[in-house]
Amino acid sequence: MKKIILLAFALALSFSSCEKDDICDANTATTPRLVITFYDITNPAVLKNVTNLKVVGAGMTDGIIFNTSATGESKYLTSGNAISIPLKTNEDTTSYNFTLNSGNANPALVNEDNIKFDYTRADIFVSRACGFKTLFTLNTSNPYTHTDAAVPDEKWIQYISVEKSNIDNENDTHLKIFF
Amino acid sequence: MTHTLKYFFSFCFMLSLFLAQAQDTDTIQRKKMDEVIPEAPKPITKKLPEEKKNDTIVKTDRYGFRVGVDLYKLTRALYDKDYKGLELVGDYRLTKKYFLAAEVGNENKTTDDDRLNTTTKGSYLKVGFDYNGYENWLDMENIISIGMRYGVSTFSQQLNTYKIYNANPYFGEVPVITSGNKYNGLTASWIEVVAGVKAKVFNNVFMGFSLRLNRLVTNKEPDNFKNLYIPGFNRTYDGDFGVGFNYTVTYFIPFYKKKVTPKKVEIKKEDQKK
Repeated sequence: MKKIILLAFALALSFSSCEKDDICDANTATTPRLVITFYDITNPAVLKNVTNLKVVGAGMTDGIIFNTSATGESKYLTSGNAISIPLKTNEDTTSYNFTLNSGNANPALVNEDNIKFDYTRADIFVSRACGFKTLFTLNTSNPYTHTDAAVPDEKWIQYISVEKSNIDNENDTHLKIFF
Repeated sequence: MTHTLKYFFSFCFMLSLFLAQAQDTDTIQRKKMDEVIPEAPKPITKKLPEEKKNDTIVKTDRYGFRVGVDLYKLTRALYDKDYKGLELVGDYRLTKKYFLAAEVGNENKTTDDDRLNTTTKGSYLKVGFDYNGYENWLDMENIISIGMRYGVSTFSQQLNTYKIYNANPYFGEVPVITSGNKYNGLTASWIEVVAGVKAKVFNNVFMGFSLRLNRLVTNKEPDNFKNLYIPGFNRTYDGDFGVGFNYTVTYFIPFYKKKVTPKKVEIKKEDQKK
Protein backbone atom coordinates (compact mmCIF):
# COMPACT_ATOMS: atom_id res chain seq x y z
CA MET A 1 0.00 0.00 0.00
CA LYS A 2 2.82 2.37 0.88
CA LYS A 3 4.38 1.65 -2.47
CA ILE A 4 1.19 2.48 -4.30
CA ILE A 5 0.90 5.81 -2.52
CA LEU A 6 4.54 6.56 -3.19
CA LEU A 7 3.94 5.77 -6.83
CA ALA A 8 0.96 8.09 -6.87
CA PHE A 9 3.09 10.86 -5.43
CA ALA A 10 5.79 10.33 -8.01
CA LEU A 11 3.23 10.28 -10.79
CA ALA A 12 1.57 13.43 -9.51
CA LEU A 13 4.94 15.13 -9.31
CA SER A 14 5.76 14.19 -12.87
CA PHE A 15 2.74 16.23 -13.90
CA SER A 16 4.35 19.38 -12.57
CA SER A 17 6.75 19.16 -15.49
CA CYS A 18 3.79 19.32 -17.87
CA GLU A 19 3.23 22.91 -16.81
CA LYS A 20 5.46 24.25 -19.55
CA ASP A 21 2.85 24.05 -22.27
CA ASP A 22 2.40 27.73 -21.47
CA ILE A 23 4.99 28.71 -24.07
CA CYS A 24 3.87 28.95 -27.65
CA ASP A 25 6.02 26.68 -29.81
CA ALA A 26 7.69 28.60 -32.64
CA ASN A 27 6.75 25.82 -35.08
CA THR A 28 3.05 26.27 -34.44
CA ALA A 29 1.20 27.65 -37.43
CA THR A 30 -0.04 31.01 -36.24
CA THR A 31 -1.09 34.19 -38.06
CA PRO A 32 0.13 33.76 -41.66
CA ARG A 33 1.73 36.40 -43.84
CA LEU A 34 0.80 37.24 -47.41
CA VAL A 35 3.20 35.42 -49.74
CA ILE A 36 4.02 37.30 -52.94
CA THR A 37 6.17 35.96 -55.78
CA PHE A 38 7.54 38.00 -58.64
CA TYR A 39 7.32 36.97 -62.30
CA ASP A 40 8.60 38.30 -65.59
CA ILE A 41 5.87 40.11 -67.55
CA THR A 42 7.49 39.18 -70.86
CA ASN A 43 7.72 35.55 -69.90
CA PRO A 44 4.95 34.98 -67.32
CA ALA A 45 6.02 31.45 -66.41
CA VAL A 46 9.47 32.54 -65.28
CA LEU A 47 10.28 33.90 -61.83
CA LYS A 48 12.06 37.22 -61.86
CA ASN A 49 14.19 38.69 -59.11
CA VAL A 50 13.46 42.20 -57.95
CA THR A 51 16.33 44.56 -57.31
CA ASN A 52 16.60 46.24 -53.92
CA LEU A 53 12.89 46.16 -53.20
CA LYS A 54 11.82 47.96 -50.07
CA VAL A 55 8.34 47.39 -48.65
CA VAL A 56 6.97 49.88 -46.15
CA GLY A 57 3.55 49.73 -44.56
CA ALA A 58 1.39 52.83 -44.74
CA GLY A 59 2.09 55.01 -41.73
CA MET A 60 5.27 53.13 -40.86
CA THR A 61 8.73 54.65 -40.98
CA ASP A 62 10.81 51.47 -41.24
CA GLY A 63 10.42 48.88 -43.93
CA ILE A 64 9.82 45.19 -43.44
CA ILE A 65 13.06 43.50 -42.50
CA PHE A 66 13.94 40.98 -45.21
CA ASN A 67 17.56 40.46 -44.32
CA THR A 68 17.98 40.00 -40.59
CA SER A 69 21.74 39.53 -40.78
CA ALA A 70 22.40 42.84 -42.54
CA THR A 71 22.80 46.15 -40.81
CA GLY A 72 21.60 49.63 -41.67
CA GLU A 73 19.37 50.33 -44.62
CA SER A 74 20.24 47.13 -46.46
CA LYS A 75 18.27 44.94 -44.04
CA TYR A 76 15.05 46.36 -45.48
CA LEU A 77 16.02 45.43 -49.04
CA THR A 78 15.45 42.22 -50.92
CA SER A 79 16.60 41.05 -54.31
CA GLY A 80 14.84 37.72 -54.31
CA ASN A 81 11.73 36.56 -56.16
CA ALA A 82 9.42 36.04 -53.20
CA ILE A 83 8.46 38.01 -50.11
CA SER A 84 6.12 37.48 -47.17
CA ILE A 85 4.44 40.51 -45.69
CA PRO A 86 2.18 40.68 -42.63
CA LEU A 87 -1.37 41.97 -42.80
CA LYS A 88 -3.00 43.96 -40.03
CA THR A 89 -4.91 41.69 -37.68
CA ASN A 90 -7.08 44.48 -36.29
CA GLU A 91 -8.16 46.14 -39.57
CA ASP A 92 -9.67 44.92 -42.82
CA THR A 93 -7.23 46.81 -45.03
CA THR A 94 -3.47 47.02 -45.16
CA SER A 95 -1.58 49.36 -47.48
CA TYR A 96 2.00 48.87 -48.57
CA ASN A 97 4.45 50.93 -50.50
CA PHE A 98 6.67 48.88 -52.83
CA THR A 99 9.84 50.72 -53.86
CA LEU A 100 12.03 49.18 -56.54
CA ASN A 101 15.74 50.07 -56.68
CA SER A 102 15.39 51.69 -53.29
CA GLY A 103 18.38 53.80 -52.30
CA ASN A 104 19.74 53.83 -55.86
CA ALA A 105 21.97 56.80 -56.64
CA ASN A 106 20.11 57.39 -59.89
CA PRO A 107 16.67 58.81 -58.91
CA ALA A 108 15.23 57.88 -62.32
CA LEU A 109 15.56 54.19 -61.45
CA VAL A 110 13.78 54.47 -58.09
CA ASN A 111 10.13 53.58 -58.63
CA GLU A 112 7.36 53.56 -56.04
CA ASP A 113 3.97 51.80 -56.23
CA ASN A 114 1.22 51.48 -53.64
CA ILE A 115 -0.96 48.44 -53.12
CA LYS A 116 -3.90 48.38 -50.72
CA PHE A 117 -5.18 44.94 -49.74
CA ASP A 118 -8.81 44.46 -48.72
CA TYR A 119 -9.80 41.33 -46.89
CA THR A 120 -11.98 39.81 -44.20
CA ARG A 121 -10.59 38.26 -41.02
CA ALA A 122 -11.36 35.28 -38.85
CA ASP A 123 -9.82 34.68 -35.42
CA ILE A 124 -9.10 30.98 -34.98
CA PHE A 125 -8.24 29.31 -31.70
CA VAL A 126 -4.79 27.73 -31.67
CA SER A 127 -3.97 26.65 -28.12
CA ARG A 128 -3.78 27.79 -24.52
CA ALA A 129 -0.21 29.00 -25.00
CA CYS A 130 -0.58 30.60 -28.42
CA GLY A 131 -4.04 32.05 -28.01
CA PHE A 132 -5.68 32.86 -31.32
CA LYS A 133 -4.43 33.39 -34.85
CA THR A 134 -5.98 35.50 -37.59
CA LEU A 135 -6.72 34.06 -41.02
CA PHE A 136 -7.47 36.35 -43.94
CA THR A 137 -9.63 36.09 -47.03
CA LEU A 138 -8.96 38.59 -49.78
CA ASN A 139 -12.14 40.21 -51.08
CA THR A 140 -13.36 38.57 -54.26
CA SER A 141 -14.40 41.76 -56.07
CA ASN A 142 -11.58 44.10 -55.04
CA PRO A 143 -8.81 42.11 -53.41
CA TYR A 144 -6.28 44.91 -54.00
CA THR A 145 -6.02 48.49 -55.23
CA HIS A 146 -2.88 49.30 -57.16
CA THR A 147 -1.95 52.99 -57.36
CA ASP A 148 1.07 55.01 -58.29
CA ALA A 149 3.12 56.83 -55.68
CA ALA A 150 2.27 60.30 -54.43
CA VAL A 151 5.02 61.62 -56.63
CA PRO A 152 3.90 60.20 -59.99
CA ASP A 153 6.36 57.94 -61.71
CA GLU A 154 5.29 55.15 -63.97
CA LYS A 155 3.99 52.05 -62.20
CA TRP A 156 6.66 49.39 -62.19
CA ILE A 157 4.16 46.61 -61.40
CA GLN A 158 2.48 45.63 -64.65
CA TYR A 159 0.01 43.05 -63.45
CA ILE A 160 -1.17 41.45 -60.20
CA SER A 161 -2.84 38.09 -60.04
CA VAL A 162 -4.49 36.58 -56.97
CA GLU A 163 -3.55 32.90 -56.79
CA LYS A 164 -5.14 32.09 -53.47
CA SER A 165 -7.58 34.37 -51.76
CA ASN A 166 -7.64 32.30 -48.55
CA ILE A 167 -4.58 33.20 -46.57
CA ASP A 168 -4.44 30.44 -43.98
CA ASN A 169 -0.81 29.39 -44.24
CA GLU A 170 2.48 30.49 -45.74
CA ASN A 171 3.10 27.38 -47.80
CA ASP A 172 1.65 28.66 -51.08
CA THR A 173 1.88 31.83 -53.10
CA HIS A 174 -1.14 34.00 -52.54
CA LEU A 175 -0.30 36.74 -54.98
CA LYS A 176 1.76 36.94 -58.18
CA ILE A 177 3.27 40.23 -59.25
CA PHE A 178 4.42 40.61 -62.86
CA PHE A 179 6.84 43.34 -63.85
CA MET B 1 -2.43 27.22 -11.69
CA THR B 2 1.29 26.63 -11.53
CA HIS B 3 1.32 28.06 -8.06
CA THR B 4 -1.72 26.14 -6.88
CA LEU B 5 -0.28 22.88 -8.20
CA LYS B 6 2.98 23.55 -6.44
CA TYR B 7 0.96 24.34 -3.34
CA PHE B 8 -0.87 21.00 -3.69
CA PHE B 9 2.25 18.98 -3.87
CA SER B 10 4.12 20.68 -1.10
CA PHE B 11 1.00 20.33 1.01
CA CYS B 12 0.67 16.66 0.17
CA PHE B 13 4.25 16.07 1.11
CA MET B 14 3.69 17.74 4.42
CA LEU B 15 0.72 15.48 5.02
CA SER B 16 2.68 12.46 3.92
CA LEU B 17 5.03 13.08 6.81
CA PHE B 18 2.13 12.84 9.22
CA LEU B 19 1.14 9.66 7.50
CA ALA B 20 4.47 8.12 8.32
CA GLN B 21 4.17 9.22 11.91
CA ALA B 22 0.74 7.68 12.20
CA GLN B 23 2.15 4.36 11.18
CA ASP B 24 4.99 4.62 13.59
CA THR B 25 2.57 4.89 16.49
CA ASP B 26 0.84 1.76 15.20
CA THR B 27 4.01 -0.19 15.54
CA ILE B 28 4.39 1.08 19.07
CA GLN B 29 0.93 -0.16 19.85
CA ARG B 30 1.80 -3.45 18.27
CA LYS B 31 4.79 -3.74 20.49
CA LYS B 32 2.65 -2.99 23.48
CA MET B 33 0.31 -5.78 22.51
CA ASP B 34 3.20 -8.12 21.99
CA GLU B 35 4.42 -7.22 25.41
CA VAL B 36 1.06 -8.00 26.96
CA ILE B 37 0.82 -11.40 25.33
CA PRO B 38 4.09 -12.87 26.58
CA GLU B 39 3.21 -11.82 30.10
CA ALA B 40 0.07 -13.86 30.11
CA PRO B 41 1.50 -17.33 29.30
CA LYS B 42 3.81 -17.31 32.33
CA PRO B 43 1.20 -18.22 34.97
CA ILE B 44 -0.73 -20.46 32.58
CA THR B 45 1.02 -23.51 31.29
CA LYS B 46 -1.14 -24.22 28.24
CA LYS B 47 -1.25 -22.04 25.25
CA LEU B 48 -4.70 -22.94 23.94
CA PRO B 49 -6.87 -21.28 26.58
CA GLU B 50 -4.71 -18.22 26.20
CA GLU B 51 -5.74 -17.92 22.59
CA LYS B 52 -9.35 -18.25 23.56
CA LYS B 53 -8.97 -15.38 25.96
CA ASN B 54 -7.73 -13.26 23.11
CA ASP B 55 -10.78 -14.20 21.14
CA THR B 56 -13.11 -13.02 23.84
CA ILE B 57 -12.10 -9.43 23.07
CA VAL B 58 -14.82 -8.85 20.53
CA LYS B 59 -13.76 -6.54 17.80
CA THR B 60 -16.48 -4.90 15.80
CA ASP B 61 -16.42 -2.88 12.61
CA ARG B 62 -18.81 -0.01 12.26
CA TYR B 63 -20.72 0.36 9.04
CA GLY B 64 -22.38 3.51 7.90
CA PHE B 65 -22.37 6.62 5.87
CA ARG B 66 -19.67 9.26 5.89
CA VAL B 67 -20.45 12.73 4.60
CA GLY B 68 -18.32 15.85 4.41
CA VAL B 69 -16.87 18.73 2.48
CA ASP B 70 -13.69 19.57 0.61
CA LEU B 71 -11.98 22.25 2.68
CA TYR B 72 -9.62 23.26 -0.08
CA LYS B 73 -12.39 24.30 -2.45
CA LEU B 74 -14.38 25.86 0.34
CA THR B 75 -11.57 28.05 1.64
CA ARG B 76 -10.03 28.92 -1.71
CA ALA B 77 -12.66 31.59 -2.31
CA LEU B 78 -11.24 33.47 0.69
CA TYR B 79 -7.91 34.18 -0.96
CA ASP B 80 -8.63 33.66 -4.66
CA LYS B 81 -11.16 36.11 -6.02
CA ASP B 82 -11.27 34.22 -9.33
CA TYR B 83 -12.56 31.05 -7.73
CA LYS B 84 -15.77 29.87 -6.13
CA GLY B 85 -16.35 26.22 -5.48
CA LEU B 86 -17.93 23.62 -3.27
CA GLU B 87 -17.45 19.89 -3.15
CA LEU B 88 -19.46 17.53 -0.99
CA VAL B 89 -18.01 14.09 -0.45
CA GLY B 90 -19.62 10.94 0.83
CA ASP B 91 -18.96 7.26 1.15
CA TYR B 92 -20.82 4.20 2.34
CA ARG B 93 -19.08 1.15 3.71
CA LEU B 94 -20.16 -1.85 1.69
CA THR B 95 -17.86 -4.56 3.02
CA LYS B 96 -14.91 -4.69 5.36
CA LYS B 97 -12.61 -3.13 2.78
CA TYR B 98 -14.80 -1.65 0.10
CA PHE B 99 -16.50 1.72 0.25
CA LEU B 100 -18.93 3.17 -2.24
CA ALA B 101 -17.71 6.72 -2.73
CA ALA B 102 -18.99 9.82 -4.45
CA GLU B 103 -18.22 13.49 -4.83
CA VAL B 104 -20.53 16.18 -6.07
CA GLY B 105 -19.50 19.74 -6.65
CA ASN B 106 -19.86 23.06 -8.35
CA GLU B 107 -17.12 25.38 -9.56
CA ASN B 108 -16.86 28.88 -10.98
CA LYS B 109 -13.30 29.63 -12.01
CA THR B 110 -11.73 32.39 -14.03
CA THR B 111 -8.40 31.37 -15.53
CA ASP B 112 -5.99 34.03 -16.64
CA ASP B 113 -3.47 32.64 -19.10
CA ASP B 114 -0.92 34.74 -20.96
CA ARG B 115 -3.08 35.02 -24.04
CA LEU B 116 -6.51 33.96 -22.85
CA ASN B 117 -8.84 34.80 -20.02
CA THR B 118 -11.71 32.36 -19.57
CA THR B 119 -14.43 31.70 -17.04
CA THR B 120 -15.68 28.15 -16.50
CA LYS B 121 -18.87 27.43 -14.59
CA GLY B 122 -20.39 24.06 -13.97
CA SER B 123 -21.21 21.08 -11.82
CA TYR B 124 -19.87 17.60 -11.59
CA LEU B 125 -20.54 14.21 -10.07
CA LYS B 126 -18.04 11.46 -9.42
CA VAL B 127 -19.06 7.96 -8.38
CA GLY B 128 -16.86 5.00 -7.64
CA PHE B 129 -15.29 2.94 -4.91
CA ASP B 130 -12.44 3.02 -2.44
CA TYR B 131 -10.51 -0.02 -1.30
CA ASN B 132 -9.04 0.31 2.18
CA GLY B 133 -5.67 -1.33 2.24
CA TYR B 134 -4.92 -0.39 5.83
CA GLU B 135 -5.21 -2.99 8.58
CA ASN B 136 -6.68 -1.26 11.61
CA TRP B 137 -5.88 -2.32 15.16
CA LEU B 138 -8.45 -2.50 17.93
CA ASP B 139 -11.14 0.08 17.33
CA MET B 140 -9.16 2.28 14.97
CA GLU B 141 -10.96 3.26 11.82
CA ASN B 142 -8.29 4.86 9.66
CA ILE B 143 -8.25 4.45 5.94
CA ILE B 144 -5.47 4.36 3.41
CA SER B 145 -7.28 3.69 0.23
CA ILE B 146 -6.93 3.37 -3.46
CA GLY B 147 -9.99 3.69 -5.60
CA MET B 148 -11.56 4.68 -8.84
CA ARG B 149 -14.21 7.14 -9.90
CA TYR B 150 -16.14 7.89 -13.01
CA GLY B 151 -16.75 11.60 -13.27
CA VAL B 152 -19.19 13.57 -15.37
CA SER B 153 -19.39 17.31 -15.69
CA THR B 154 -21.71 19.72 -17.39
CA PHE B 155 -20.46 23.27 -17.73
CA SER B 156 -20.14 26.43 -19.74
CA GLN B 157 -17.09 28.40 -20.79
CA GLN B 158 -16.88 32.09 -21.45
CA LEU B 159 -13.98 33.56 -23.39
CA ASN B 160 -13.46 36.95 -21.77
CA THR B 161 -10.41 38.26 -23.59
CA TYR B 162 -7.83 36.91 -26.01
CA LYS B 163 -4.70 37.89 -27.87
CA ILE B 164 -3.78 37.20 -31.47
CA TYR B 165 -0.47 35.42 -31.85
CA ASN B 166 1.47 37.11 -34.60
CA ALA B 167 5.03 35.95 -35.14
CA ASN B 168 5.65 39.04 -37.29
CA PRO B 169 4.38 42.02 -35.33
CA TYR B 170 5.42 44.58 -37.95
CA PHE B 171 2.45 46.81 -37.19
CA GLY B 172 3.04 46.45 -33.46
CA GLU B 173 1.45 44.17 -30.91
CA VAL B 174 -2.32 44.23 -31.19
CA PRO B 175 -4.03 45.02 -27.87
CA VAL B 176 -6.09 42.42 -26.02
CA ILE B 177 -9.40 41.70 -27.73
CA THR B 178 -12.53 41.51 -25.59
CA SER B 179 -14.69 38.67 -26.73
CA GLY B 180 -17.39 37.62 -24.25
CA ASN B 181 -18.25 34.56 -26.37
CA LYS B 182 -20.07 32.04 -24.22
CA TYR B 183 -20.05 28.34 -24.98
CA ASN B 184 -22.92 26.55 -23.28
CA GLY B 185 -23.91 22.91 -22.98
CA LEU B 186 -20.41 21.50 -22.75
CA THR B 187 -19.93 18.08 -21.19
CA ALA B 188 -17.02 15.85 -20.28
CA SER B 189 -16.52 12.54 -18.54
CA TRP B 190 -13.41 10.93 -17.18
CA ILE B 191 -11.94 8.16 -15.07
CA GLU B 192 -10.01 8.93 -11.90
CA VAL B 193 -7.57 6.84 -9.95
CA VAL B 194 -7.70 7.99 -6.35
CA ALA B 195 -5.14 7.49 -3.62
CA GLY B 196 -6.45 8.73 -0.32
CA VAL B 197 -5.99 8.82 3.41
CA LYS B 198 -8.62 9.35 6.08
CA ALA B 199 -7.83 9.56 9.77
CA LYS B 200 -10.28 9.68 12.65
CA VAL B 201 -9.47 12.83 14.60
CA PHE B 202 -12.15 12.50 17.28
CA ASN B 203 -15.45 10.69 17.76
CA ASN B 204 -16.93 10.37 14.31
CA VAL B 205 -14.98 13.15 12.64
CA PHE B 206 -12.45 12.23 9.97
CA MET B 207 -9.93 14.30 8.10
CA GLY B 208 -8.52 13.14 4.86
CA PHE B 209 -6.90 14.01 1.62
CA SER B 210 -6.72 12.38 -1.75
CA LEU B 211 -4.67 12.66 -4.90
CA ARG B 212 -6.26 11.94 -8.22
CA LEU B 213 -5.04 11.16 -11.68
CA ASN B 214 -7.67 11.77 -14.28
CA ARG B 215 -8.06 10.63 -17.85
CA LEU B 216 -10.69 12.05 -20.14
CA VAL B 217 -13.10 9.61 -21.74
CA THR B 218 -15.41 12.02 -23.52
CA ASN B 219 -15.03 15.73 -24.05
CA LYS B 220 -17.55 17.80 -25.96
CA GLU B 221 -15.67 20.89 -27.06
CA PRO B 222 -17.00 24.07 -28.63
CA ASP B 223 -16.23 25.13 -32.19
CA ASN B 224 -13.10 27.24 -32.46
CA PHE B 225 -12.28 26.80 -28.79
CA LYS B 226 -11.15 24.20 -26.31
CA ASN B 227 -12.18 23.10 -22.83
CA LEU B 228 -9.32 24.62 -20.89
CA TYR B 229 -10.81 23.84 -17.50
CA ILE B 230 -13.42 21.24 -16.62
CA PRO B 231 -15.14 21.43 -13.23
CA GLY B 232 -14.10 18.38 -11.23
CA PHE B 233 -11.41 17.42 -13.72
CA ASN B 234 -9.46 20.66 -13.33
CA ARG B 235 -7.07 22.07 -15.90
CA THR B 236 -6.74 20.19 -19.13
CA TYR B 237 -3.41 19.47 -20.75
CA ASP B 238 -2.48 18.68 -24.32
CA GLY B 239 -3.07 15.01 -23.63
CA ASP B 240 -6.14 13.55 -21.96
CA PHE B 241 -4.63 13.51 -18.49
CA GLY B 242 -5.24 15.72 -15.52
CA VAL B 243 -4.63 15.85 -11.80
CA GLY B 244 -6.82 16.52 -8.83
CA PHE B 245 -6.68 16.88 -5.12
CA ASN B 246 -9.01 17.32 -2.21
CA TYR B 247 -8.71 17.85 1.51
CA THR B 248 -11.79 16.78 3.38
CA VAL B 249 -13.48 16.86 6.72
CA THR B 250 -16.13 14.18 7.07
CA TYR B 251 -18.59 13.02 9.67
CA PHE B 252 -19.35 9.34 10.08
CA ILE B 253 -22.92 8.30 10.75
CA PRO B 254 -22.87 4.68 11.98
CA PHE B 255 -25.75 2.47 10.88
CA TYR B 256 -24.82 -0.94 12.35
CA LYS B 257 -21.91 -2.96 13.70
CA LYS B 258 -20.45 -6.19 12.47
CA LYS B 259 -18.31 -8.58 14.47
CA VAL B 260 -14.94 -9.22 12.99
CA THR B 261 -14.76 -12.59 11.28
CA PRO B 262 -12.47 -15.43 12.48
CA LYS B 263 -10.15 -14.61 9.64
CA LYS B 264 -8.87 -11.88 11.90
CA VAL B 265 -7.69 -14.49 14.45
CA GLU B 266 -5.49 -16.17 11.87
CA ILE B 267 -3.80 -12.90 11.21
CA LYS B 268 -3.20 -12.48 14.93
CA LYS B 269 -1.59 -15.91 15.09
CA GLU B 270 0.80 -14.97 12.35
CA ASP B 271 1.70 -11.85 14.22
CA GLN B 272 2.38 -13.80 17.37
CA LYS B 273 4.76 -16.08 15.53
CA LYS B 274 6.70 -13.07 14.47
